[in-house]
Amino acid sequence: MNPDVKMHTKLDAKVPAGSLAEKWDRHRFNLKLVNPANKKKFEIIVVGTGLAGASAAATFAELGYHVKNFCIQDSPRRAHSIAAQGGINAAKNYSNDGDSVWRLFYDTIKGGDFRAREANVYRLAQLSCNIIDHCVAQGIPFARDYGGFLDNRSFGGAQVSRTFYAKGQTGQQLLLGAYSSLMRQVSTGMVKLFPRREMMDLVVVDGKARGIVVRNLITGELETYTAHAVVLATGGYGNVFNLSTNAMASNVTAAFRAYKKGAYFANPCYTQIHPTCIPVHGTFQSKLTLMSESLRNDGRVWVPKKPRDKRRPGDIPESERDYYLENKYPSFGNLVPRDVASRNAKEQCDLEKGVGETGLAVYLDFADAIKRDGENAIAGKYGNLFQMYEKITGDNPYKTPMMIYPAVHYTMGGLWVDYNLMSTIPGLFVLGEANFSDHGANRLGASALMQGLADGYFVIPYTIGGYLAQTSFSEINVPDSKEFKQGIQNVQQRIDKLLSVNGRRTVTEFHRELGLILWEYCGMSRNEEGLLKAREMVSNLRHEFWKDVYVPGTGKDLNQSLEKAGRVADFLEFGELMILDALARKESCGCHFNTAFQTEENEARRDDQNFCHVACWEYNGDDQVPNFHKESLTFENVELSQRSYK
Amino acid sequence: MNWFLNMLRTSIGKKLLMALTGLFFSIFLVIHLLGNLTLYGGKDLFLSYVDHLHALGPLIHVAEIGLLTFAAIHVSTGLFLFLQNLQARPIRYTVDKRGGGRTIGSATMPYTGVLIIIFVAIHLSNFHFIDHSRQTVFQAIDATFHMVPYIFFYIAAVIIVAIHVSHGFWSLFQTLGANHPKYMPAIKGIGFIFSLLVAVGFGFIPVYVSFIM
Amino acid sequence: MISKTINLTLKVWRQNRGEKKGRLETYSAKNISVDMSFLEMLDVVNEELTKNKKETIAFDHDCREGICGMCGAVVNGRPHGHEKETTLCQLHMRHFSDGDIIVIEPWRARAFPLIKDLVVDRSALDNIIQAGGFISVNAGGAPDANALPISKEIAEAAFNAAACIGCGACVAACPNASAMLFVSAKVSQFALLPQGRPEAARRARTMVRMMDQCGFGNCSNETECEAECPKGISISNIARLNREFLKAEFS
Ligand SMILES: Cc1cc2nc3c(=O)[nH]c(=O)nc-3n(C[C@H](O)[C@H](O)[C@H](O)COP(=O)(O)OP(=O)(O)OC[C@H]3O[C@@H](n4cnc5c(N)ncnc54)[C@H](O)[C@@H]3O)c2cc1C
Ligand code: HEM
Ligand code: SF4
Ligand code: FES
Repeated sequence: MNPDVKMHTKLDAKVPAGSLAEKWDRHRFNLKLVNPANKKKFEIIVVGTGLAGASAAATFAELGYHVKNFCIQDSPRRAHSIAAQGGINAAKNYSNDGDSVWRLFYDTIKGGDFRAREANVYRLAQLSCNIIDHCVAQGIPFARDYGGFLDNRSFGGAQVSRTFYAKGQTGQQLLLGAYSSLMRQVSTGMVKLFPRREMMDLVVVDGKARGIVVRNLITGELETYTAHAVVLATGGYGNVFNLSTNAMASNVTAAFRAYKKGAYFANPCYTQIHPTCIPVHGTFQSKLTLMSESLRNDGRVWVPKKPRDKRRPGDIPESERDYYLENKYPSFGNLVPRDVASRNAKEQCDLEKGVGETGLAVYLDFADAIKRDGENAIAGKYGNLFQMYEKITGDNPYKTPMMIYPAVHYTMGGLWVDYNLMSTIPGLFVLGEANFSDHGANRLGASALMQGLADGYFVIPYTIGGYLAQTSFSEINVPDSKEFKQGIQNVQQRIDKLLSVNGRRTVTEFHRELGLILWEYCGMSRNEEGLLKAREMVSNLRHEFWKDVYVPGTGKDLNQSLEKAGRVADFLEFGELMILDALARKESCGCHFNTAFQTEENEARRDDQNFCHVACWEYNGDDQVPNFHKESLTFENVELSQRSYK
Repeated sequence: MNWFLNMLRTSIGKKLLMALTGLFFSIFLVIHLLGNLTLYGGKDLFLSYVDHLHALGPLIHVAEIGLLTFAAIHVSTGLFLFLQNLQARPIRYTVDKRGGGRTIGSATMPYTGVLIIIFVAIHLSNFHFIDHSRQTVFQAIDATFHMVPYIFFYIAAVIIVAIHVSHGFWSLFQTLGANHPKYMPAIKGIGFIFSLLVAVGFGFIPVYVSFIM
Repeated sequence: MISKTINLTLKVWRQNRGEKKGRLETYSAKNISVDMSFLEMLDVVNEELTKNKKETIAFDHDCREGICGMCGAVVNGRPHGHEKETTLCQLHMRHFSDGDIIVIEPWRARAFPLIKDLVVDRSALDNIIQAGGFISVNAGGAPDANALPISKEIAEAAFNAAACIGCGACVAACPNASAMLFVSAKVSQFALLPQGRPEAARRARTMVRMMDQCGFGNCSNETECEAECPKGISISNIARLNREFLKAEFS
């Protein structure tokens, strides 16, 4: 532990007693219920309309609660869940290849390098089947076989086929399903929709989350909303790296504001770097594009054996190619988990075997698959991905191998929540990628969609009832409430400050610089020296930002520069927290790879003695080191082992 | 009946009117063309066709009233749709290019439509609303088609009708919901041939009457 | 990295919130790498504007990978630009040449009121979905996913219709500003699937009426929508919508 980090307390995750398989059932029975007639007296704010937010909002309304649902985009259908490509896991065992709830649970726990909460992961695996049933009933056109039954494919980190998919647009179809349920509830009047709103602050009254302050992104007006509970489903913070596969508006702001109001932030340093993305090709670049992991089912990853081999891929004979994943991990081959695949790609490029103009890429080759199955079969599975690749790069992957490189993709860290998905602020619930819960130190493919929907359709609808039924609420009259007044005032001050710096540098420049620092020192591999250096660099950058940034336009208008400035300002603060967390975790696990802690085969070496816990950070004032708390992870049902994919 | 009027107020309802009346006129065009083809058989064949037609008596009046009502529906609905569509985009594009969907036919439906109605009026005043006791229809045709400017006018008019149906024909099937990947190409092909037949079949008549006959 | 660069002249529609009239303003975009996307090119122009302490051009965007449907502008008279089946964010500058003049305008339709510059309000599309673009099923009550086999062909046809990203380019492209392609895509997805049949008639009737109410134009089968749709949604869906609607009305 760093010397400057204070305080240790143990956090209680409120995991119910009983055997793993019974916990959720029992818990649901023990939860107090809200009388159906009383449900309509409760109002719930849901921030976010991704898989987690839309599914939660729709389901609350189905149950009879009144819901206010917010998002940044002009329509809830555009939340970034829409971009998920590959698929969603479920332990249906339709492929009859030995899958089960237990196996999905185990794969997920192991994939997360034993840094996730057993009870949550087991519940997730249990609910996975209900999700697929519900989605099919909603009319989601999953891929099917000729018999008319649902088709499955395999994904990294698993040896069974349990991934349901809709071509390369699974996230889109799932989100449109949740969106359609949401729209149905909007038409009944149970959900009120607030698009083009950005949450700027959480309002806590009497120690309970009771409302939010949002900025109307069209008029610039600050608006307040009250409720009996606030649900955040605001997605991940991958954009702290500037370049990531996230959408441009993805942010940490909502979560970070909640953090500043007392919600603990868990494992901020766990960020997943996805192995198969289109490589960076210029400084102007605004985002990176994922090529679904499902491509590794048929594509073979290789680099030339000789360093600095500048021949075209077709000119390199078979004997001079190194299929390094297949060689190193004979049983999982190209389907090793993401962290392993990414690190290996980086390793090859560090050995100067990288390909392409920058040398920061490896090949993903479909020649063999095309030879085996024919171009049509490959097009049927990946057509839209190949098309997307060609649009961006101008290369045709049917003819030449794809070039791929790892990119920031997903954040396992997030606001800490207990088994009920409630944060450390009573009445503030956090779902989806915004919470930290189920993926430990590394998320397996096709499990984020599963988690978001499990949280929204099947967990929070029950657990929020337990909270509402047991809590007494005071009346809030917004114009008189000092908390709401204060909330508006703080937000206004911050906006005014951003607009008044009137410096010389653009927000984008700061964001780019922050991204480069974090990618270099807090990315795929980390070490203490680099992290310390980065911490200082980020801190300096933040100070410079507030001295020298220039934000054009006014606050009372649609002002995209201002929106971005606010988000980058939060990333600058948050970046430091990430680094602090990485420094504090003196082990390697999953995606967090500290070069000081590795096995002889360069795999992550955990320290289960000292670090088998969730690291939680409590805000302690600006420019102060946050307080540290931990939730110890106990494994009663699986044996902690060194992950092996050989 | 209420539901019916209600349905006709919707965009698809109005399109249904256009399609059904358009279909009716297309069929009318076929019959009209077949009748006119008798001209190629010479004056006598043609006049016997005219006599047969007139012998239908009251039936012909029913048909005329039908045509008139349908024309009224087609024209008024068409113009109403046209105006509504104009309003749906109050500010136009500075640069407006096509993506390859629009055809000459589809882009000009209201304009060709209006030209057709003008033509039909002239056409009827030339051949229909004339004193049939003083001249036969054939004489009227013969006289008119020996005025060279009128030949050009007539040919231009039938080309305009052809352009109208070049889009209208397949479009009416689409409106009625008959679009099937297997059959749509055939429908489009028939539409194309149909408009060609209209242009050539009707268009060649004045040439034939004035130069060949 | 060194890659080919080009210089362009942009004429961009600028109009403030509440302003009655907008205008095309001219900007130069210099040293644009051909590997950039169209939106990245606009980013570069906006950076330049910021450096000159001018207000940036407002345009909607989010995923930048052609799936969220947030981006879109009419580029030289073509919604999402001239490349086939490509969203504006996926349009790359390699498809332009040095010295090109590019006119950029917002989607224009009465049903999409302009908010600012290139940003328009497309909530009418959400209103249409609210009118019936769903299957009424509550979480929790569904039967096993494999209880109802659906032929691969039907599933694929439904998927192809469901691929619509709700960008509104069809409306922008339609000479009549009609939203039929969008509406037909949703109606078709559910009409094809057995799960969607119970509500098919009601859905077609309510969605079409809402579409009319929102102020879109009427479909004249011009097929410009299909030609410009970034997801290749077919107009055979429009025929299906007509069929579903008429069937529903007459029964
Ligand atoms: C390219 C890509 C591909 C992926 N592929 C897969 C896959 O194949 N399988 C899989 O399981 N997972 C995949 N993932 C991960 C998965 O898609 C995400 O983790 C998941 O969709 C997140 O859902 P969410 O509901 O938590 O958040 P999001 O979908 O990101 O939604 C966030 C919502 O919050 C709103 N919001 C955010 N901040 C604010 C604010 N301050 N104020 C108001 N509203 C706000 C946004 O408007 C949005 O509505 C992929 C991710 C990416 C980026
Ligand atoms: C020979 C006579 C005519 C024939 C055979 C004919 C046929 C058709 C057909 C088949 C359609 C397509 C309907 C659909 O899309 O479903 C159509 C559309 C149309 N017709 Fe005619 N028509 C004739 C005369 C006219 C006249 C006189 C007008 C006068 C204004 C007219 C105006 C239109 C318009 C505006 C449309 C387009 C409607 C739309 O899709 O918005 N037509 N016609
Ligand atoms: S049909 Fe095509 S153009 Fe229209 S909204 Fe959908 S994706 Fe966009
Ligand atoms: S930004 Fe999402 S489709 Fe273009």
